[in-house]
Amino acid sequence: MATSMVARGSAPLLLRSMALLPSPTIGAQRCATLVTLRGGRQHFVLTGQLQSRMGAGNSPVVHQCRRCFGVRASASAEAESSEKKPTVGFLGLGIMGVAMARNLVKAGYDVTVWNRSPSKCDALVKEGAKFGASPKGTSAACDITFGMLADPAAAIAVALGEDGVVKGLGPNKGYVDVSTVDAETSKAIAEAVRATGAQFLEAPVSGSKKPAEDGTLIFLTAGDRALYDEASPILDVMGKSRFYLGDVGKGAAMKLVVNMVMGSMMASFSEGLVLGEKVGLDPETIVQVIGQGAINAPMFAMKGPSMVKSAYPPAFPLKHQQKDLRLAIALAEEVSQEIPVAAAANGLFVRAKKDGRGDDDFSAVIEALK
Amino acid sequence: MATEGLGFLGLGIMGVAMAKNLLKLGVPVCVWNRSPEKCDALVAMGATAAKSPAEVILKSKITFGMLADPAVALTVAFGPGGVVESIMPGKAYVDMSTVDAETSMTISKAITEKGGRFLEAPVSGSKKPAEDGQLVILAAGDESLFNDAGAAFDVMGKKSFFLGEVGNGARMKLVVNMIMGSMMTAFAEGLSLAEKAGLSQNDLLDVLDLGAIANGMFKLKGPSCIKGSFAPAFPLKHQQKDMRLALALGDEVAQTMPVAAAANEVYKKARTLGFGDNDFSAVYKAIADSS
Repeated sequence: MATSMVARGSAPLLLRSMALLPSPTIGAQRCATLVTLRGGRQHFVLTGQLQSRMGAGNSPVVHQCRRCFGVRASASAEAESSEKKPTVGFLGLGIMGVAMARNLVKAGYDVTVWNRSPSKCDALVKEGAKFGASPKGTSAACDITFGMLADPAAAIAVALGEDGVVKGLGPNKGYVDVSTVDAETSKAIAEAVRATGAQFLEAPVSGSKKPAEDGTLIFLTAGDRALYDEASPILDVMGKSRFYLGDVGKGAAMKLVVNMVMGSMMASFSEGLVLGEKVGLDPETIVQVIGQGAINAPMFAMKGPSMVKSAYPPAFPLKHQQKDLRLAIALAEEVSQEIPVAAAANGLFVRAKKDGRGDDDFSAVIEALK
Repeated sequence: MATEGLGFLGLGIMGVAMAKNLLKLGVPVCVWNRSPEKCDALVAMGATAAKSPAEVILKSKITFGMLADPAVALTVAFGPGGVVESIMPGKAYVDMSTVDAETSMTISKAITEKGGRFLEAPVSGSKKPAEDGQLVILAAGDESLFNDAGAAFDVMGKKSFFLGEVGNGARMKLVVNMIMGSMMTAFAEGLSLAEKAGLSQNDLLDVLDLGAIANGMFKLKGPSCIKGSFAPAFPLKHQQKDMRLALALGDEVAQTMPVAAAANEVYKKARTLGFGDNDFSAVYKAIADSS
């Protein structure tokens, strides 16, 4: 139980106790120290940062961890203003983007938002964000810019188009593309970004609407390590876990593999519900039985009840799931990997899209079986 | 010869574990297996061994059966010295094998015609849940028998469902195992593609375990697939049998099932590669070695 002083400008914080605890919110092996500040408020502080700050006698990092105990008080805001946070741009305010940007605004970041249809910015601007007139203007005004776009075409257009992100980038800036795209698209964007002297991180997410709102996304990142380190506190506001997987392309591949398995699982689950009902079983009972067994997954428990009622409010639009399967199939072809089950699942998603279900939740694939 | 005892037919991977749990009830347990030496372990724990299913039926209030497939289930029911031979009022048979609905109904009819009670009760869960008494029991048929078997079900399983008329248990089991079989193949595709794309398979497992598709089967089978160890908790040949029965069920009602059909093909391939007696997760090898 150490007690020590940490200088913070003119108002030193008295650390009452420190305990080394594994942080449940940070992926892999990072450790956090639980510090008790004057007034009893506690925070997790990433241990490495705390030690370096204490040693240098500089202002401490009080990590804005969403799972910290206690209430955000003025002391916290003071601590933040004395620690310079990067200014953040956010491009793309769809289902995911609006929730992610909102969490950044709530966490006290200086956030500039842009969306192709500008009216989508209104709510966030009311909540404290700045309005970005274009991707170029946004990336020019911010240290780190995020892009959450629907598909490869949109990601390319926003990054490389007229008034695109790349035109506003330069040394000491970073672009983090959190869209789900194929590796080739990601590499093309990376090259153009790096040509300006800026850094690039691909960082597609696992998790849909609710995890985005709750700040519990999983980031699957790859690219420039320094940008990853710089952006990590920002990722931690939006997510519960992050992975750094290596060179650009690895994050994209990991996301496609995960969503390929997910699409196949949803299609298979749908087959079970429809077959079961057709042979006289109660679909709600099927969902309950699955909930008891080894294949019980949160997705089944979440989607089963609404699927049984033929309700598909979009948390993850079907057209995006099908896009992911299409990209996964292309990836598999590149590396000569047979994926017959995913191919069969893709067929069902294509059929559902053709039947007009593209904007419904991806669980609407069940309609393709009826 | 009525006693308060219970009977158990079929001491394979599942049956031996389930019969051992019955012994915990402190009642006489009489067992039978086609290869009699499989009874030895149970006898050493206090069970008695019988020479035929018919003998077990006579000695027990309720007899449970856990046979490999429809053919064996029918033989044990109808063959010489089979269940039907000695079934009579006051006797009951609970068939926990995984079979098609027709087989179940055939057995049910013969037993009830002779005045006995019948319950189909296939289970969800493999070796470890069987050992731990954590099976999920999907019963249908005679509801009074479902109630009377409650103590036995509680010691073998964590939850039992009563699903109505005979056939519904069989159908529910097939639907669940169809989804499981497709999921395992999808998982195998994911693991294989990850490796070919230069990703760490262990990273993939970590990512899956954090998200909406995390489940016990991936958590258990992922590491063993990566290690290449496929000791059978649930033999692949039985999983393929279940896929085939589920597809046949789909045929009956003209229900399209392309994902299950694709998964079934992979299990067939795995069988031709010689993995039939391995754990069903060995379907990973059929997928991984496919390029």
